[in-house]
Amino acid sequence: MWSEIRGLKDDVDYGTPPRDGAPVTLEIDGVTVTVPAGSSLMLAAASAGRPIPKLCATDMLEAFGSCRVCLVEIEGRGGFPASCTTLVAEGMKVKTQSETLSRLRKGVLELYLSDFPESEIADGWSEFHDTLKAEGVASHPYGAGGFNHFEAPVDASNPYFLFDPAKCIVCSRCVRACAEVQGTFAITIAGRSFDSKVVASQDQPFFESECVSCGACVQACPSHALVEKSLFEGEYVHAESAEA
Amino acid sequence: MPNPLKPEKSVVTTCAYCGVGCGFKAETRGGKIVRMTPWKEGKANHGHSCIKGRFAYDYYNAPDRVRTPLIRASIDDPWTPVSWDEAFAYAAKEFKRIQAKYGVKSVGAVSSSRCTNEEIFLTQKFARAVLGNNNIDNCARICHSPTQFGLTNTVGAGAASQHFDSILQADVIMVVGANPTEGHPVFGSLMKRRIRQGAKLIVIDPRKTETVESAHCKADVHLAIRPGTNVAILDSIAHVVVREKLYNEEFVRARCEVNEFENWKALVGSDNYAPEVIGPLAGVDPDDIRKAARIYASGPNSAIYYGLGVTEHSQGSTGVMCLGNLGLSCGMLGREGVGVNPLRGQGNVQGGSCLGSWPHVFSGYRFVTDYETRSSFEAEWGVPLDAEPGLRLPNMLDAAVAGSFKGMYIMGEDPVQSDPNQHHVIAAMRNMECVVLHDLFLNETSKYAHIFFPGSSSLEKDGTFTNAERRVSRVRKVIEPLAGLEDWQITVKLMNAMGYNVNYTSAGEVLDEIARLSPNYRGISFALVDRIGSAQWPCNEDAPEGTEVLHREKFPRANGLGTFMLTEYVPTAERTNDKYPLLLTTGRILSQYNVGTQTRRTPNSMWHSEDVLEINEQDSISRGVKDGDWVKVSSRFGEIEVRARISERVNPGVVYTTFHHAKSKANAVTSDLSDWATNCPEYKVTAVDVVRTNGPAADAARDAATPRIAEMEPAE
Amino acid sequence: MSMTQQQADGAIPVMALDRIVLMANQIGDFFAPYPPERRAEGIRNHLRTYWDPRMREELLALIEQGGGAGLAPHVMEGAKLLREETHAKPGYYGPPKA
Repeated sequence: MWSEIRGLKDDVDYGTPPRDGAPVTLEIDGVTVTVPAGSSLMLAAASAGRPIPKLCATDMLEAFGSCRVCLVEIEGRGGFPASCTTLVAEGMKVKTQSETLSRLRKGVLELYLSDFPESEIADGWSEFHDTLKAEGVASHPYGAGGFNHFEAPVDASNPYFLFDPAKCIVCSRCVRACAEVQGTFAITIAGRSFDSKVVASQDQPFFESECVSCGACVQACPSHALVEKSLFEGEYVHAESAEA
Repeated sequence: MPNPLKPEKSVVTTCAYCGVGCGFKAETRGGKIVRMTPWKEGKANHGHSCIKGRFAYDYYNAPDRVRTPLIRASIDDPWTPVSWDEAFAYAAKEFKRIQAKYGVKSVGAVSSSRCTNEEIFLTQKFARAVLGNNNIDNCARICHSPTQFGLTNTVGAGAASQHFDSILQADVIMVVGANPTEGHPVFGSLMKRRIRQGAKLIVIDPRKTETVESAHCKADVHLAIRPGTNVAILDSIAHVVVREKLYNEEFVRARCEVNEFENWKALVGSDNYAPEVIGPLAGVDPDDIRKAARIYASGPNSAIYYGLGVTEHSQGSTGVMCLGNLGLSCGMLGREGVGVNPLRGQGNVQGGSCLGSWPHVFSGYRFVTDYETRSSFEAEWGVPLDAEPGLRLPNMLDAAVAGSFKGMYIMGEDPVQSDPNQHHVIAAMRNMECVVLHDLFLNETSKYAHIFFPGSSSLEKDGTFTNAERRVSRVRKVIEPLAGLEDWQITVKLMNAMGYNVNYTSAGEVLDEIARLSPNYRGISFALVDRIGSAQWPCNEDAPEGTEVLHREKFPRANGLGTFMLTEYVPTAERTNDKYPLLLTTGRILSQYNVGTQTRRTPNSMWHSEDVLEINEQDSISRGVKDGDWVKVSSRFGEIEVRARISERVNPGVVYTTFHHAKSKANAVTSDLSDWATNCPEYKVTAVDVVRTNGPAADAARDAATPRIAEMEPAE
Repeated sequence: MSMTQQQADGAIPVMALDRIVLMANQIGDFFAPYPPERRAEGIRNHLRTYWDPRMREELLALIEQGGGAGLAPHVMEGAKLLREETHAKPGYYGPPKA
């Protein structure tokens, strides 16, 4: 019972919440794995030790299917379904690695990278950076000077965390964490297409919004766009003495 | 922004704040804590956190953290920094001198719910085995002592019947006198998750809290009662259950004392408790009382969560009994999704209750008057123990005022700010000859202390906390103690200085002693908790990894049956009149924590920099008070000045404030009435008046003249 | 100001008598709905289990020497049972037994 919260592991991200259903057996890259019905292919793959790269998925949040990095091939089915939103079925045969998949993922990651500050690619340690490394993507072919969000102002209004839109990949993990985990619904995506951006309340600074500073969005962010100020020199306001 | 710096090390530990007891990973870089992140395997929080635990940890390193022991002969002298050995020797000499002069029972000790189980246990050992009396209490006295009393008397165990996750099976959630989204935020989020899935919500609270209505969560019934009418309203709900035969007869016949059930039915079923009688008295619509009763009784799984709005009343224990009675009558105990659950304010209130820091019981709630229990402790500790109950904290203060109580070891408490009727507390403190304060900071009480032991924050020591769901989790040392000693070591060294020879090489050995002497903790050890993450008591041979849901087969009473107490409503003596026409009630806010010792030192104060008085527009207009005006709040006990906030959260006739800031001195106005059974103070009801003023009066000269530390030097 | 009661031996009372009276009457209020014998036992056992013996002595002195001024009659009845052990229910939680 309550696998969606109790089945979580500290050192594994299954990508989608664990489930409690009856056992279902399937094959992932030739590895046989049994997981509860209702699980995603992404979870089954992580359980089989064949983790699938992902950006918008994390196991504390319901699947969303927006980043298109977690695509897989399923025997007998057409196309390249997202493994986070595809549920397991008995006897399914899934391929997580192929030349085509690698090319598709690389294409998607390069597009993300084209709007990510170039100087911050090499020495980052966020999930996004780890995914880039795992997929062997370190640059993009689109050149400099295109439209980007590099100059978007950093929101440092909250004393504990900041939001740097330049590093935001608009995966909605923060929006969903605020809704599903915390239940405050303070964050949303405003605008469409290239203009879509993460905003608090009515596009207010975080500190002035309904945000209760629980940290769920910071925890969920895969790209250090939302990040603790305490991890930077000079950004953090240390504790002060109080009146006795 | 550049890339952030990566933490180097990570230690899993337990949050120092509220009774949810979230698991955190404390991450360090260069020996400094740079981040706290929620632990996904934490069984109380499952990877979630709130503003306090996640971000407000840096108080540990605040500039005014005391890093060396201090002593002084008189509270009018400045502090003198001394070595640890000098401080222990001085404290021991003073306690011995006082006991020789005024008697063995003229001194006592108080432990804190912010301390670990091991420290709380050692503090009671200090009082019983070293001071030789039972004058030992802890701060659960002023918050949840009625929980222990009221639940033990009905269901047999003074603790939450459930684990937190159980709420995900509840169909009806009844929140009484609690505001989980502010006071217990991570549990509040779990509750909201269940409400979004469709569970019904009943809230009984004088104030329209965030729990009553927030994004995608709205109470089906909100009984906005007049403060002080809890027992009346709960009896009236019970009245509807009885008269409409909504009770679970099968459960009562199988699991409860049927005679007592019949007696209870006769009492609450009487016309005195009809909603049409109680509704007008409590200021709520009688139909809402009926609606609440029907929703609760129809479940099928109904769970009660309650807080200090139930306990902090002159009938606090009776209120808790009402909840026990209600749960039993409707069969809402003994399985997932139901239960009667206290939400504990501080991280280790449950531990404080379990581990014998009470004047009448040893660890495991066993009476000091019981020969066999006492003998087992005498055998382990090697000294004869007092067979009579000692003084409770409020009685110690009463006795200090009367002159019969002269010395106190206060571990991690600030009675001057947090206890009711501040003038009385200060008079008591001034009357004592030796007050030993063991804390992180020079708090309000330090103004009246003679010896100060600089303690260690929970980031600097080993031990365990027991959260509101009976879950024992590890507190692990992340950094070395800033003042050199872990808190449990300080208490042990004080015992040694007093001539009591005891030695522990680690906090784990203290836990082993707890396990030997306390049946519910028998199976708990550092090794077990390290292996499985955490364990809920009872943890013993029958339940080697702990127990999530209590009362499945029987209740822990001699005959195994639950029972019903007669809960007659007795109005509090604290009444409104022409001079004090409003009722003041108190509560807390998300970003601050209790008296603010920790959070006021962090940027959390940006959200809540001062306590304000919420007042209904109707009451503000008649007093010429505008939003943001300074007002004087006066009661029979004192007066304070705060800013007013006009708010629809409170009904006409009711005003509300928080008590987080020392400067607002909220407890200067609270009454000296207390719970009939436990002396838990009646913080939640004070008759007051509110008048507009021009700003804070120049405050007592005492504050300005307070002696400060003469000079600070590192300890030897 | 608080009333104080000078004890026979001149010792300082453990605490002010008006607190003792207030607390005892509050306990009496709770047990009031029980039938007389159970009511008295409930009060007795509560005092026995939770009160410091010096507080009990102060209460009994008020009753035995001062006529129990300010105390409800049923509180006096319950307190008087403290002088013997037949009504003791040691280590018992639950409604008062008789």
